[in-house]
Amino acid sequence: MAVLFGTLGWRPQSLVPSIRSTESLERLVFYHSDHAKSRDARAKVMEFCRSLGVPATGVELSDAFDLFACAGQIREDVRRERASSPDLRFNIAGGTRLMSCAALLVCLLEGIPATYVHDETYREIPLPLLRISYGATLTPKEREVLEFLVKNRDKPFSETTLARALGVHKATMNHHLRGLEAAGAVERRRDPADARRLILQASPGMELLVG
Amino acid sequence: MPARTLIATVGFDERHVLPALRLLPYDRLVAVGGRDAFRAPAFRRLLSIEPDLQRFPVDPFDLQECMEAIERCVHVAQREGPVRISATGGTKILTMAAFLAAFQEGVEAWYCDGPPLRLPVLRGARLADAFPAAEAAIIVHLRKAMSLESLLAALTELGFARRTVMAAILSLGRKGLVQSSKRTGRDVVRPSPELASIRSHFAGRPGKA
Repeated sequence: MAVLFGTLGWRPQSLVPSIRSTESLERLVFYHSDHAKSRDARAKVMEFCRSLGVPATGVELSDAFDLFACAGQIREDVRRERASSPDLRFNIAGGTRLMSCAALLVCLLEGIPATYVHDETYREIPLPLLRISYGATLTPKEREVLEFLVKNRDKPFSETTLARALGVHKATMNHHLRGLEAAGAVERRRDPADARRLILQASPGMELLVG
Repeated sequence: MPARTLIATVGFDERHVLPALRLLPYDRLVAVGGRDAFRAPAFRRLLSIEPDLQRFPVDPFDLQECMEAIERCVHVAQREGPVRISATGGTKILTMAAFLAAFQEGVEAWYCDGPPLRLPVLRGARLADAFPAAEAAIIVHLRKAMSLESLLAALTELGFARRTVMAAILSLGRKGLVQSSKRTGRDVVRPSPELASIRSHFAGRPGKA
Protein backbone atom coordinates (compact mmCIF):
# COMPACT_ATOMS: atom_id res chain seq x y z
CA MET A 1 0.00 0.00 0.00
CA ALA A 2 1.43 3.37 -1.03
CA VAL A 3 1.14 6.75 0.61
CA LEU A 4 1.33 9.70 -1.77
CA PHE A 5 2.64 13.04 -0.64
CA GLY A 6 2.23 16.17 -2.72
CA THR A 7 2.57 19.93 -2.90
CA LEU A 8 -0.45 21.83 -4.17
CA GLY A 9 -0.76 25.33 -5.57
CA TRP A 10 -3.79 26.75 -7.33
CA ARG A 11 -4.29 23.93 -9.81
CA PRO A 12 -5.57 20.50 -8.72
CA GLN A 13 -4.41 19.23 -12.13
CA SER A 14 -0.83 19.23 -10.85
CA LEU A 15 -1.66 16.56 -8.27
CA VAL A 16 -4.55 14.59 -9.76
CA PRO A 17 -2.46 12.58 -12.28
CA SER A 18 -0.40 11.14 -9.42
CA ILE A 19 -3.52 10.28 -7.42
CA ARG A 20 -4.82 8.39 -10.45
CA SER A 21 -1.58 6.63 -11.32
CA THR A 22 -0.43 5.48 -7.86
CA GLU A 23 -1.22 1.80 -7.50
CA SER A 24 -2.74 0.62 -4.23
CA LEU A 25 -2.99 4.19 -2.98
CA GLU A 26 -3.73 4.03 0.72
CA ARG A 27 -3.70 7.70 1.58
CA LEU A 28 -2.85 11.16 0.27
CA VAL A 29 -1.07 13.87 2.29
CA PHE A 30 -0.60 17.21 0.57
CA TYR A 31 0.68 20.64 1.47
CA HIS A 32 -0.80 23.95 0.42
CA SER A 33 -0.57 27.63 1.29
CA ASP A 34 -3.12 29.85 3.01
CA HIS A 35 -3.98 31.64 -0.26
CA ALA A 36 -7.70 31.54 -1.12
CA LYS A 37 -7.01 29.87 -4.49
CA SER A 38 -4.88 27.25 -2.82
CA ARG A 39 -7.66 26.53 -0.35
CA ASP A 40 -10.08 26.20 -3.29
CA ALA A 41 -7.72 23.74 -4.94
CA ARG A 42 -7.50 21.85 -1.67
CA ALA A 43 -11.30 21.51 -1.56
CA LYS A 44 -11.31 20.14 -5.13
CA VAL A 45 -8.59 17.61 -4.35
CA MET A 46 -10.39 16.48 -1.20
CA GLU A 47 -13.62 16.06 -3.19
CA PHE A 48 -11.79 14.07 -5.86
CA CYS A 49 -10.25 11.79 -3.25
CA ARG A 50 -13.65 11.31 -1.58
CA SER A 51 -15.08 10.19 -4.92
CA LEU A 52 -12.30 7.58 -5.18
CA GLY A 53 -12.61 6.51 -1.56
CA VAL A 54 -9.04 7.61 -0.79
CA PRO A 55 -8.48 9.24 2.61
CA ALA A 56 -6.74 12.58 2.18
CA THR A 57 -5.15 15.12 4.52
CA GLY A 58 -4.49 18.67 3.40
CA VAL A 59 -1.83 20.43 5.49
CA GLU A 60 -1.87 24.22 5.36
CA LEU A 61 1.66 25.57 5.67
CA SER A 62 2.06 28.61 7.89
CA ASP A 63 4.57 30.15 5.44
CA ALA A 64 4.74 28.75 1.92
CA PHE A 65 7.86 30.84 1.25
CA ASP A 66 9.96 29.55 4.13
CA LEU A 67 12.06 26.77 2.59
CA PHE A 68 13.50 25.46 5.84
CA ALA A 69 10.25 25.50 7.80
CA CYS A 70 8.43 23.72 4.96
CA ALA A 71 11.20 21.15 4.58
CA GLY A 72 11.31 20.56 8.33
CA GLN A 73 7.59 19.95 8.55
CA ILE A 74 7.46 17.77 5.47
CA ARG A 75 10.39 15.69 6.67
CA GLU A 76 8.79 15.16 10.09
CA ASP A 77 5.55 14.01 8.46
CA VAL A 78 7.37 11.74 6.01
CA ARG A 79 9.37 10.06 8.77
CA ARG A 80 6.27 9.53 10.87
CA GLU A 81 4.44 8.01 7.92
CA ARG A 82 7.37 5.82 6.98
CA ALA A 83 7.18 4.05 10.33
CA SER A 84 3.93 2.39 9.22
CA SER A 85 4.06 2.65 5.42
CA PRO A 86 7.43 2.13 3.77
CA ASP A 87 6.11 2.80 0.22
CA LEU A 88 6.05 6.57 -0.12
CA ARG A 89 5.86 8.70 -3.26
CA PHE A 90 6.00 12.47 -3.68
CA ASN A 91 4.51 14.74 -6.33
CA ILE A 92 6.44 18.01 -6.05
CA ALA A 93 4.77 19.89 -8.90
CA GLY A 94 2.40 22.24 -7.11
CA GLY A 95 2.71 25.15 -4.74
CA THR A 96 5.32 27.90 -4.55
CA ARG A 97 8.83 27.33 -5.84
CA LEU A 98 10.10 27.12 -2.30
CA MET A 99 7.47 24.53 -1.38
CA SER A 100 8.53 22.40 -4.35
CA CYS A 101 12.20 22.86 -3.49
CA ALA A 102 11.50 21.94 0.13
CA ALA A 103 9.74 18.78 -1.02
CA LEU A 104 12.61 18.04 -3.43
CA LEU A 105 15.11 18.42 -0.60
CA VAL A 106 13.19 15.99 1.60
CA CYS A 107 12.97 13.48 -1.24
CA LEU A 108 16.75 13.71 -1.72
CA LEU A 109 17.48 13.25 1.96
CA GLU A 110 14.94 10.50 2.58
CA GLY A 111 15.28 8.65 -0.72
CA ILE A 112 11.64 9.05 -1.78
CA PRO A 113 10.70 8.63 -5.46
CA ALA A 114 9.52 11.98 -6.75
CA THR A 115 7.53 13.02 -9.78
CA TYR A 116 6.69 16.24 -11.52
CA VAL A 117 3.61 16.89 -13.63
CA HIS A 118 4.24 18.80 -16.87
CA ASP A 119 2.48 22.16 -16.82
CA GLU A 120 0.86 21.73 -20.24
CA THR A 121 0.66 18.03 -21.02
CA TYR A 122 -0.04 16.93 -17.40
CA ARG A 123 2.28 14.03 -18.04
CA GLU A 124 3.95 12.63 -14.94
CA ILE A 125 7.72 12.80 -15.10
CA PRO A 126 9.84 10.80 -12.63
CA LEU A 127 12.76 12.79 -11.24
CA PRO A 128 16.33 11.44 -11.30
CA LEU A 129 16.88 11.50 -7.54
CA LEU A 130 19.25 9.38 -5.59
CA ARG A 131 19.33 9.22 -1.83
CA ILE A 132 22.67 10.35 -0.58
CA SER A 133 23.52 11.09 3.01
CA TYR A 134 25.04 14.52 2.47
CA GLY A 135 26.09 14.76 6.07
CA ALA A 136 28.26 11.70 5.49
CA THR A 137 30.74 13.76 3.49
CA LEU A 138 31.90 15.37 6.71
CA THR A 139 34.44 13.64 8.96
CA PRO A 140 32.97 12.15 12.17
CA LYS A 141 34.51 14.99 14.22
CA GLU A 142 33.19 17.65 11.85
CA ARG A 143 29.77 16.06 12.04
CA GLU A 144 29.95 16.06 15.84
CA VAL A 145 30.82 19.78 15.89
CA LEU A 146 28.06 20.60 13.41
CA GLU A 147 25.45 18.57 15.31
CA PHE A 148 26.48 20.36 18.52
CA LEU A 149 26.11 23.77 16.88
CA VAL A 150 22.73 22.79 15.39
CA LYS A 151 21.47 21.61 18.77
CA ASN A 152 22.74 24.79 20.47
CA ARG A 153 21.77 27.27 17.78
CA ASP A 154 20.60 29.87 20.27
CA LYS A 155 23.80 29.88 22.31
CA PRO A 156 26.79 31.97 21.20
CA PHE A 157 29.94 29.89 21.01
CA SER A 158 33.38 31.24 20.27
CA GLU A 159 36.05 28.89 19.02
CA THR A 160 37.48 28.67 22.54
CA THR A 161 34.20 27.94 24.33
CA LEU A 162 33.26 25.45 21.62
CA ALA A 163 36.56 23.61 22.03
CA ARG A 164 36.01 23.53 25.79
CA ALA A 165 32.41 22.29 25.42
CA LEU A 166 33.51 19.43 23.17
CA GLY A 167 36.65 18.63 25.13
CA VAL A 168 39.18 19.26 22.35
CA HIS A 169 42.24 21.46 22.04
CA LYS A 170 41.62 24.84 20.46
CA ALA A 171 43.96 24.08 17.57
CA THR A 172 42.08 20.86 16.86
CA MET A 173 38.78 22.71 16.91
CA ASN A 174 40.21 25.29 14.52
CA HIS A 175 41.08 22.48 12.11
CA HIS A 176 37.54 21.06 12.21
CA LEU A 177 35.97 24.48 11.84
CA ARG A 178 38.05 25.30 8.78
CA GLY A 179 36.69 22.18 7.10
CA LEU A 180 33.12 23.08 8.06
CA GLU A 181 33.48 26.67 6.92
CA ALA A 182 34.94 25.56 3.58
CA ALA A 183 31.87 23.37 3.10
CA GLY A 184 29.58 26.28 4.01
CA ALA A 185 28.19 24.39 6.99
CA VAL A 186 29.34 26.89 9.64
CA GLU A 187 29.50 30.70 9.66
CA ARG A 188 31.39 33.16 11.81
CA ARG A 189 29.80 36.46 12.75
CA ARG A 190 30.26 39.28 15.22
CA ASP A 191 28.75 38.64 18.64
CA PRO A 192 25.95 41.22 18.98
CA ALA A 193 26.80 41.50 22.70
CA ASP A 194 30.52 42.05 22.08
CA ALA A 195 31.62 43.20 18.63
CA ARG A 196 35.21 42.18 19.34
CA ARG A 197 34.20 38.54 19.53
CA LEU A 198 33.46 36.19 16.68
CA ILE A 199 30.86 33.54 17.32
CA LEU A 200 30.15 30.41 15.38
CA GLN A 201 26.82 29.28 14.07
CA ALA A 202 25.57 26.40 11.99
CA SER A 203 24.48 27.76 8.60
CA PRO A 204 20.72 27.91 8.01
CA GLY A 205 19.25 24.58 7.02
CA MET A 206 22.00 22.40 8.46
CA GLU A 207 19.41 20.72 10.68
CA LEU A 208 18.12 19.07 7.56
CA LEU A 209 21.50 17.70 6.51
CA VAL A 210 22.61 16.26 9.83
CA GLY A 211 19.19 15.34 11.23
CA MET B 1 43.92 34.33 -10.95
CA PRO B 2 40.89 32.01 -10.72
CA ALA B 3 37.75 33.30 -12.44
CA ARG B 4 34.57 33.23 -10.34
CA THR B 5 31.53 32.09 -12.27
CA LEU B 6 27.91 32.79 -11.46
CA ILE B 7 25.40 30.53 -13.22
CA ALA B 8 21.96 32.13 -13.14
CA THR B 9 18.61 30.73 -14.23
CA VAL B 10 16.72 33.39 -16.19
CA GLY B 11 13.17 33.92 -17.39
CA PHE B 12 11.15 36.83 -18.67
CA ASP B 13 11.85 39.19 -15.78
CA GLU B 14 15.41 40.34 -15.22
CA ARG B 15 14.45 41.54 -11.74
CA HIS B 16 14.74 37.93 -10.56
CA VAL B 17 18.39 37.90 -11.65
CA LEU B 18 19.59 41.35 -10.57
CA PRO B 19 19.61 40.74 -6.78
CA ALA B 20 21.96 37.80 -7.30
CA LEU B 21 24.25 39.91 -9.49
CA ARG B 22 24.46 42.49 -6.70
CA LEU B 23 24.94 39.98 -3.90
CA LEU B 24 27.26 37.36 -5.40
CA PRO B 25 30.61 38.56 -6.76
CA TYR B 26 31.57 37.05 -10.11
CA ASP B 27 33.97 37.44 -13.03
CA ARG B 28 31.88 35.51 -15.53
CA LEU B 29 28.12 35.30 -15.81
CA VAL B 30 26.37 32.34 -17.43
CA ALA B 31 22.62 32.54 -18.06
CA VAL B 32 20.54 29.37 -18.44
CA GLY B 33 17.01 29.88 -19.70
CA GLY B 34 14.40 29.13 -22.32
CA ARG B 35 14.96 30.17 -25.93
CA ASP B 36 11.97 32.50 -25.76
CA ALA B 37 13.36 34.15 -22.64
CA PHE B 38 16.60 34.93 -24.50
CA ARG B 39 14.60 36.75 -27.19
CA ALA B 40 12.58 38.78 -24.67
CA PRO B 41 13.14 42.49 -23.81
CA ALA B 42 14.14 41.54 -20.25
CA PHE B 43 17.12 39.59 -21.53
CA ARG B 44 18.18 42.47 -23.77
CA ARG B 45 18.14 44.72 -20.71
CA LEU B 46 20.28 42.17 -18.87
CA LEU B 47 22.69 42.06 -21.81
CA SER B 48 23.03 45.84 -21.69
CA ILE B 49 24.26 45.48 -18.10
CA GLU B 50 26.37 42.39 -18.81
CA PRO B 51 27.32 42.32 -22.50
CA ASP B 52 29.80 39.46 -22.00
CA LEU B 53 27.37 37.05 -20.43
CA GLN B 54 27.21 33.54 -21.90
CA ARG B 55 23.85 32.07 -22.65
CA PHE B 56 22.72 28.44 -22.56
CA PRO B 57 19.28 27.89 -24.04
CA VAL B 58 17.28 24.94 -22.73
CA ASP B 59 13.71 23.68 -22.76
CA PRO B 60 12.64 25.24 -19.46
CA PHE B 61 9.97 22.55 -18.98
CA ASP B 62 12.36 19.61 -19.33
CA LEU B 63 13.95 19.03 -15.95
CA GLN B 64 16.52 16.49 -17.19
CA GLU B 65 17.71 18.80 -19.97
CA CYS B 66 17.88 21.80 -17.63
CA MET B 67 19.82 19.84 -15.02
CA GLU B 68 22.31 18.43 -17.53
CA ALA B 69 22.88 21.88 -19.05
CA ILE B 70 23.55 23.42 -15.64
CA GLU B 71 25.86 20.56 -14.65
CA ARG B 72 27.81 20.98 -17.92
CA CYS B 73 28.17 24.70 -17.16
CA VAL B 74 29.39 23.82 -13.65
CA HIS B 75 31.98 21.31 -14.94
CA VAL B 76 33.34 23.80 -17.47
CA ALA B 77 33.39 26.71 -15.04
CA GLN B 78 35.05 24.70 -12.26
CA ARG B 79 38.16 24.39 -14.44
CA GLU B 80 38.56 28.17 -14.17
CA GLY B 81 37.65 28.76 -10.53
CA PRO B 82 34.85 28.75 -7.95
CA VAL B 83 31.24 28.51 -9.08
CA ARG B 84 27.96 29.71 -7.59
CA ILE B 85 24.41 29.19 -8.79
CA SER B 86 21.47 31.56 -8.61
CA ALA B 87 18.31 29.47 -8.90
CA THR B 88 15.85 32.37 -8.86
CA GLY B 89 14.76 33.11 -12.43
CA GLY B 90 12.90 31.13 -15.06
CA THR B 91 10.33 28.40 -14.65
CA LYS B 92 9.83 26.37 -11.49
CA ILE B 93 11.36 23.41 -13.33
CA LEU B 94 14.48 25.46 -14.06
CA THR B 95 14.74 26.45 -10.40
CA MET B 96 14.40 22.84 -9.28
CA ALA B 97 16.94 21.70 -11.87
CA ALA B 98 19.41 24.29 -10.58
CA PHE B 99 18.71 23.22 -7.03
CA LEU B 100 19.27 19.56 -7.89
CA ALA B 101 22.42 20.32 -9.88
CA ALA B 102 23.79 22.35 -6.95
CA PHE B 103 23.23 19.45 -4.59
CA GLN B 104 24.69 16.85 -6.89
CA GLU B 105 27.76 18.93 -7.77
CA GLY B 106 28.35 20.43 -4.31
CA VAL B 107 28.04 24.00 -5.58
CA GLU B 108 26.90 26.96 -3.46
CA ALA B 109 23.40 27.99 -4.52
CA TRP B 110 21.17 30.93 -3.75
CA TYR B 111 17.55 31.88 -4.15
CA CYS B 112 17.23 35.65 -4.32
CA ASP B 113 13.54 36.50 -4.62
CA GLY B 114 12.99 38.43 -1.41
CA PRO B 115 15.60 38.05 1.35
CA PRO B 116 18.54 36.12 -0.15
CA LEU B 117 18.42 32.47 0.84
CA ARG B 118 21.46 30.23 0.67
CA LEU B 119 20.36 26.68 -0.07
CA PRO B 120 21.66 24.01 2.37
CA VAL B 121 24.24 22.59 0.00
CA LEU B 122 27.60 21.40 1.32
CA ARG B 123 30.24 22.98 -0.93
CA GLY B 124 32.43 20.36 -2.55
CA ALA B 125 30.18 17.45 -1.55
CA ARG B 126 29.50 15.87 -4.92
CA LEU B 127 27.15 13.00 -5.63
CA ALA B 128 30.02 11.08 -7.20
CA ASP B 129 32.10 11.26 -4.02
CA ALA B 130 29.53 9.21 -2.12
CA PHE B 131 30.34 6.15 -4.24
CA PRO B 132 33.40 3.95 -3.65
CA ALA B 133 35.81 3.55 -6.56
CA ALA B 134 34.50 0.14 -7.65
CA GLU B 135 30.89 1.34 -7.75
CA ALA B 136 31.92 4.45 -9.70
CA ALA B 137 33.80 2.27 -12.20
CA ILE B 138 30.71 0.08 -12.71
CA ILE B 139 28.53 3.15 -13.19
CA VAL B 140 30.86 4.41 -15.93
CA HIS B 141 31.34 1.02 -17.58
CA LEU B 142 27.83 -0.48 -17.49
CA ARG B 143 26.02 1.19 -20.37
CA LYS B 144 23.85 -1.75 -21.40
CA ALA B 145 23.08 -5.26 -20.22
CA MET B 146 26.19 -7.39 -20.03
CA SER B 147 27.08 -10.76 -18.62
CA LEU B 148 28.39 -10.76 -15.09
CA GLU B 149 31.59 -12.43 -16.28
CA SER B 150 32.24 -9.71 -18.86
CA LEU B 151 31.69 -7.01 -16.26
CA LEU B 152 33.97 -8.77 -13.78
CA ALA B 153 36.65 -9.17 -16.46
CA ALA B 154 36.46 -5.49 -17.42
CA LEU B 155 36.78 -4.29 -13.85
CA THR B 156 39.50 -6.70 -12.77
CA GLU B 157 41.49 -5.35 -15.69
CA LEU B 158 41.18 -1.93 -14.07
CA GLY B 159 42.72 -3.36 -10.92
CA PHE B 160 39.67 -4.23 -8.80
CA ALA B 161 39.44 -7.57 -7.01
CA ARG B 162 36.56 -9.87 -8.04
CA ARG B 163 35.17 -9.84 -4.52
CA THR B 164 35.20 -6.04 -4.48
CA VAL B 165 33.35 -5.90 -7.79
CA MET B 166 30.73 -8.41 -6.61
CA ALA B 167 30.17 -6.39 -3.43
CA ALA B 168 29.88 -3.21 -5.51
CA ILE B 169 27.27 -4.80 -7.79
CA LEU B 170 25.22 -5.86 -4.76
CA SER B 171 25.49 -2.40 -3.26
CA LEU B 172 24.39 -0.75 -6.50
CA GLY B 173 21.51 -3.20 -6.69
CA ARG B 174 20.33 -2.12 -3.23
CA LYS B 175 20.49 1.50 -4.39
CA GLY B 176 18.31 0.64 -7.37
CA LEU B 177 21.04 1.41 -9.91
CA VAL B 178 21.65 -2.03 -11.38
CA GLN B 179 19.44 -5.05 -11.97
CA SER B 180 20.66 -8.63 -12.02
CA SER B 181 18.89 -11.47 -13.78
CA LYS B 182 19.51 -14.80 -15.43
CA ARG B 183 19.29 -15.09 -19.21
CA THR B 184 19.82 -18.46 -20.93
CA GLY B 185 21.58 -19.74 -17.84
CA ARG B 186 24.00 -16.77 -17.61
CA ASP B 187 24.00 -14.05 -14.98
CA VAL B 188 23.31 -10.69 -16.58
CA VAL B 189 23.71 -7.23 -15.09
CA ARG B 190 21.94 -4.21 -16.57
CA PRO B 191 21.86 -0.53 -15.70
CA SER B 192 18.62 0.91 -14.38
CA PRO B 193 17.26 4.20 -15.85
CA GLU B 194 18.36 5.92 -12.65
CA LEU B 195 21.97 4.85 -13.27
CA ALA B 196 21.88 6.34 -16.76
CA SER B 197 20.65 9.64 -15.32
CA ILE B 198 23.60 10.00 -12.90
CA ARG B 199 26.40 8.67 -15.12
CA SER B 200 27.48 12.16 -16.23
CA HIS B 201 28.59 12.88 -12.64
CA PHE B 202 31.24 10.18 -12.96
CA ALA B 203 32.72 11.01 -16.34
CA GLY B 204 36.48 11.33 -16.14
CA ARG B 205 36.71 9.82 -12.68
CA PRO B 206 39.86 7.63 -12.52
CA GLY B 207 39.67 3.90 -11.78
CA LYS B 208 41.49 2.14 -8.98
CA ALA B 209 44.90 3.70 -8.33
